[in-house]
Amino acid sequence: MLPQSNARDADSAIRQTDTDAAGARLSSVQKGYLPDSFVKAFVPRAHLQARPPLINVGTYVRSEGIDELVGGWLDLAEQEGKKAQIVSMGAGSDTRFWRIETGPRKGRLAAYIEVDFAEVTTKKAMAIKKSKDLCGILGQSEDIKLESGGIALHSPIYHLIPADLRLPPAATLGPALAASDSSLLSPNLPTLLLWECVLVYMSPEASFSLIQWFVEYFSHGTGPLGGIVYEMFGLSDSFGRVMHENLKARGVSLPGAVPYPDVASLPNRFLQHGFTMAHALTLRDIRRTYISSSEAERISTLEMLDEIEELELVLGHYAITWGVRLVESSNSLKAPWTEWGLKQKRNPGNSLREDE
Amino acid sequence: MPSDLNNRQIEQLARCEPISEEQVKILCLKAREILVEEGNVQVIDSPVTICGDIHGQFFDLMELFRVGGSCPQTNYLFMGDFVDRGFYSVETLLLLLALKVRYPERITLIRGNHESRQITQVYGFYDECQRKYGSSNVWRWCCEVFDYLALGAIVDGRVFCVHGGLSPNLSSIDQIRAIDRKQEVPHDGPMCDLLWSDPDDIQGWGLSPRGAGFLFGADPAQKFAHHNSIDLIARAHQLAMEGYKLMFDRTIVTVWSAPNYCYRCGNVASILELDEHLAQEYKVFQAAPSDVRSIPTKRPPADYFL
Repeated sequence: MLPQSNARDADSAIRQTDTDAAGARLSSVQKGYLPDSFVKAFVPRAHLQARPPLINVGTYVRSEGIDELVGGWLDLAEQEGKKAQIVSMGAGSDTRFWRIETGPRKGRLAAYIEVDFAEVTTKKAMAIKKSKDLCGILGQSEDIKLESGGIALHSPIYHLIPADLRLPPAATLGPALAASDSSLLSPNLPTLLLWECVLVYMSPEASFSLIQWFVEYFSHGTGPLGGIVYEMFGLSDSFGRVMHENLKARGVSLPGAVPYPDVASLPNRFLQHGFTMAHALTLRDIRRTYISSSEAERISTLEMLDEIEELELVLGHYAITWGVRLVESSNSLKAPWTEWGLKQKRNPGNSLREDE
Repeated sequence: MPSDLNNRQIEQLARCEPISEEQVKILCLKAREILVEEGNVQVIDSPVTICGDIHGQFFDLMELFRVGGSCPQTNYLFMGDFVDRGFYSVETLLLLLALKVRYPERITLIRGNHESRQITQVYGFYDECQRKYGSSNVWRWCCEVFDYLALGAIVDGRVFCVHGGLSPNLSSIDQIRAIDRKQEVPHDGPMCDLLWSDPDDIQGWGLSPRGAGFLFGADPAQKFAHHNSIDLIARAHQLAMEGYKLMFDRTIVTVWSAPNYCYRCGNVASILELDEHLAQEYKVFQAAPSDVRSIPTKRPPADYFL
């Protein structure tokens, strides 16, 4: 029984990373970096969440970068005349669905599917059911159904599904997405896959199988397939060695970072699956160049940041990687899918304000 | 203060044990009496060992003394940022103050941007005082000491030492001597700039991304050095992964003395030894080994994005 209980402890440490991320998000919301009226519903003891300025800034940069990519994807789908699907894996306490459905791109989703460990989906399903705000956006109460004893939740567009992403997808994710009478996921709609700090905790082999499963699923349809991965990389330097050591003390290991020693290696995450294009940017570069001057100015007034070198060192070890895969028969696509990406908003420069 | 009490404080603090609140009060008063007599730019003689940011990394400070020699056998100049970020700001600051009181001619402490009421409330020292003493008295007394710390130092008239850097409003060291320093660090102006500015590969002056102080290029640095007959500007304030960083044709050096900064950055640290001819030797050192470095049981984990 011992190995099993060890394995359970290791998973609990990984699940704990979601609590950490949600807390960091709430902190940056409370400090005025980000608007998000939904996250507090998912964070117990919401008043205890103040994080250091470096974490607030990084959380802001990560969130803005991914939001822009997701928004861009929904806009391309609209140009295509289609609704989009999003599958967010290891979604944890993420609030993206509710933010989309209350924002300017409301009503553009055909399906929004979140997948995580059953322990996480159970907690989230309960938090959703407890919150009128969250439920109201999902639909009429008779359309919101807890299933499998409360570990899954289904509504017209939003679905919350338990699965261990490390297991062979054909045995776990496949049956879950094909739930009940009709499949949740159409291979003919533009579909975006999200992994925010997820694949890094898995073996490269398991990540490969997971992405490949989606590639094969979508090879039978016409829908463009997109992916966004956000996580740490380049951990073979001294900063990375300390990170490995510090996280090991918390029971967290990062096997998924091994194949990605530098930013140039990151697009391979998608290119090895035959994606049409893929790009990667570090949070350091996104902060410097992809956040508008006015936003950078606003952020700099929220908290006094004592240490820029440390901030850049830390942000330089996290990246957002994105890619798109178009099937060969999709020559008839109308929207410029291969131009999907983050837009530069400032010239690269040494400091935040110098180049304004 | 009786020197046997002072010696006992040093022994106790060197074991990383905080002294009583009453003793902190006495120590802070005594430290103020000494510091008030010092100039804004304290004049010191070589040989001296120059140290950068410590940030409450007490066991790494012990490592620094092992590498550089103990005080008073070695003369020390610490260029500020004794507190915040690390787990042991209280013990670190109080040990340095106790040494200052015991050997005022052997150790010089100048002010960093973290020796401030506002910054210590964000970056940890205030919370640590509350946690270790149950009130903000110790923090308040320490902040009163901060207001008396010198803004800079000059070694043999040739090496100018400051925590951050230069100010567009200060062209001579005499102008620094004219500042009324006994106050909280202002949000802007010459005193703020000395504690917040950074050298950078730019022309002239630039705005700082830190939100205080300025960036300054090689030309202002070399002009200041020439105008004041200075060979070297030694400063701290910026993490240097290799422990120190010379810039502008060796006109300025950053000395960083907090190894594995914040228990996260993976950097080495250094101290700068100036001999009696002002020859420079950089001694690089690593973080204290983990069996020596006791970690508080309720240690907050180093922050990452997870």
